[in-house]
Amino acid sequence: MTPTTSAVPILELRGITKSYGTVKACAGVDLRVDAGEIHGLLGENGAGKSSLMKVLLGLVRRDAGTVLVRGEEVALDSPQEAAELGIGMVHQHFSLINGLTVWENVALGDNGKVNKQAICADIAEVSARYGLTVEPDARVETLSAGERQRVEVVKCLRRNPQILILDEPTSVLTQAESEELFAVLGRVVQEEGRAVILISHKLAEIAQATDRVTVLRKGCVAFRAVTADTTPQLLARQMVGREVSLGEEAAALGLVPADKRRKDGGGGPEGQQPVLRLAGLTVDQGGVRLLADVDLTVGPGEIVALYGVEGNGQATLGDVLAGLIPPTAGTIEVTGDRVDVTRPGALSKAGLGIVPEDRHHSGVVLDMSVAENLTMKALDKVSGRFLLRRRAMLAEARRLADEFNIVTPSLDAPVRSLSGGNQQRVVLARELSGHTRVLVAAQPTHGLDVGAIEDMYARLRAAAAEGVGVLLISTEFEEVMALATRIAVISSGRITGALPVSEATAERLGMLVGGEAA
Amino acid sequence: MSVLDSTTTILASGVRLTVPLAFAACGEYLAERAGAMNISVEAMMLSAAFTSVATASATGSATVGLAAGVLTGLVVGFVHGNLSHRAQINTFVIGLVLNALVLGLTSYLITTEQFTAHQVGVLSIPLLQDIPLIGKPLFSQRWPAYLLILLVPLTWWLVERSRWGLELRAVGENPQAADVTGIKVNVRRRQALLWCGALAGLGGAYLAVGEVGSFNQNMTAGRGYLVIAAVIFGAWRLGRTLLGCLVFGLSDAMRLALPALGVTLNAQLLVAAPYLLALLAMLLFTTQHREPAALGRPFERGST
Repeated sequence: MTPTTSAVPILELRGITKSYGTVKACAGVDLRVDAGEIHGLLGENGAGKSSLMKVLLGLVRRDAGTVLVRGEEVALDSPQEAAELGIGMVHQHFSLINGLTVWENVALGDNGKVNKQAICADIAEVSARYGLTVEPDARVETLSAGERQRVEVVKCLRRNPQILILDEPTSVLTQAESEELFAVLGRVVQEEGRAVILISHKLAEIAQATDRVTVLRKGCVAFRAVTADTTPQLLARQMVGREVSLGEEAAALGLVPADKRRKDGGGGPEGQQPVLRLAGLTVDQGGVRLLADVDLTVGPGEIVALYGVEGNGQATLGDVLAGLIPPTAGTIEVTGDRVDVTRPGALSKAGLGIVPEDRHHSGVVLDMSVAENLTMKALDKVSGRFLLRRRAMLAEARRLADEFNIVTPSLDAPVRSLSGGNQQRVVLARELSGHTRVLVAAQPTHGLDVGAIEDMYARLRAAAAEGVGVLLISTEFEEVMALATRIAVISSGRITGALPVSEATAERLGMLVGGEAA
Repeated sequence: MSVLDSTTTILASGVRLTVPLAFAACGEYLAERAGAMNISVEAMMLSAAFTSVATASATGSATVGLAAGVLTGLVVGFVHGNLSHRAQINTFVIGLVLNALVLGLTSYLITTEQFTAHQVGVLSIPLLQDIPLIGKPLFSQRWPAYLLILLVPLTWWLVERSRWGLELRAVGENPQAADVTGIKVNVRRRQALLWCGALAGLGGAYLAVGEVGSFNQNMTAGRGYLVIAAVIFGAWRLGRTLLGCLVFGLSDAMRLALPALGVTLNAQLLVAAPYLLALLAMLLFTTQHREPAALGRPFERGST
């Protein structure tokens, strides 16, 4: 089925406006979606995509504007009403409940008696129809990100929605999982005539998967087009509001592979003592070997990437390096000295900074101020024996905020009120302040917009140029190719190989990711 | 008195002291699974104990007193629910305030009037009550105690098998996600508190018009807190929660029985025994805890 503009659109938004306090998240947004199309909604973080979708799902009430479903005006006051109208969403931050099983999660939001057999039959039917395998009796907390995503999609499709919204669906998925997802979406629109709204800031995805695209910028529609008539470069420009030209930026957007001509060993000279050395690092948890005998060194000024599919031990390694879990065996040396990881803060004292994977969870304290978050690791500097010296704290925070270009209404504002990119800058600024010799950046660009990704790349490079060794843990192929001088690949908790970037190709890395020697 | 006889006596008294805890624990368990940390279970029990005695005295019927107790618990649950899960006032503060308020109010009201004592009748099950050792403790109780046989499975079924219970658990684990699926989070929590109020009320009333037959100042004496401890002890599983109630009930019975057995121990120390035991139990079993992830965390639409 091809989208026809003459028919009544399945969904039409007119002049949707929504403010939170003084912030206008959406300012008169118009959107038109037809049955049988995948409609891309593109925009940076804070462009208003999520707010618009929350309005559409009845999670927040719009201040002004009209919503028409199949030509009829609807109120959309509650999630129930949205569900009855056939609007379903697969959420970016999963809406699954960890403590419940898969089938219980799927059953949530239904009415009437809980009938496990019927629900499991439904799950099996949807699974078979779209080729999405899920285990109904598994507890959600035991599933990987990709499996959870599948559960989300199954849960959503089981409701038979006519309008399916996906919010950044591939941010935690591997390449293969993403392709599987888009194959399902293709069937959903072409064979079943539903409409899909795909929210993303990955241009490659938008270019490949969508029929039409609407670009939001600062709460307004900046651009709309038939995807085939546009180019990723044009979309990027519309999204950011300025020219996007840097190679690494394009790489971050998934447009082109990074420039492979970049000279090898851009980092430290050979023979220098490594700033970070992991030797035989092993972690067993609940009878499962999460990390197996990991050896890895990072030299000063070097960016080493640890590449692999999510769920292969990266999170565990990140937790070990953050000092959150002690390794079962193995040693960690920072600048040649072995660190006693059982002591809290020992790694940090030794000069290791970490940008953790989940910044909300272990990167920042959301409800404390920007200044407090920035100086948390350098309290000696800003406090006497008992009392904080507020002036010193603010001065230090001001210095870091300026240096790292952190945009905040005030240094006393809670970190919660900052955008994702700025929160991440707060973490980076804090971790690089002081005498940091090695920086571990775990998925540092997850969920960031293009501008923030570009900034993060520049800052990681700058840190390396100043002699800091950087360990970049990433699942993004383009990202490791753009940044790293050396790429180590992790698979099932084991380092399967390491290559200089000049020898790395998608094929060779792919082999290593699959657990085979390249 | 033979050893068997005294054991039976202690067991019987232990079961009697367990019953009010068990009623309230069923309620508290369900409330906590919904993420509603209900400190005011003490207020529910104490106020119900008072109104049950007052109503029984006025009507001459202990059964009507019992019903009044359930109603009183419901009212406290309603007040607590609306303050903390509608008006969004800190649930712990409300619980403590309610507990203090009810303690003060009942202590005052008890001085204003003389109440005539009424007690619900004992129902002995023929044959079963003649089983040695456990016959008397289990099958010769005041009749409302047997309601547990109905209410415990009902509570379990509600939580684990009904749609309502599934939604309650979702709300207790992840209110944001529950909201997204269209569950009215705070409505579910208020409903859970009503269930808790009714059962805690029944427990308090049972203590007054069941076991004791009259009301004394602060007669629940922290049993509400023991109920909360039992839920923690039970790691948010109903069976283990009830086991916790039994442990606390038996230790309370020991306290009462020891002097009669000729063991002289400091009385204050004995009063503290169940609480010390609760602490010890929590210390020992703390690693097995899997509490509802959103326990005690308020939920407001639109906030993250």
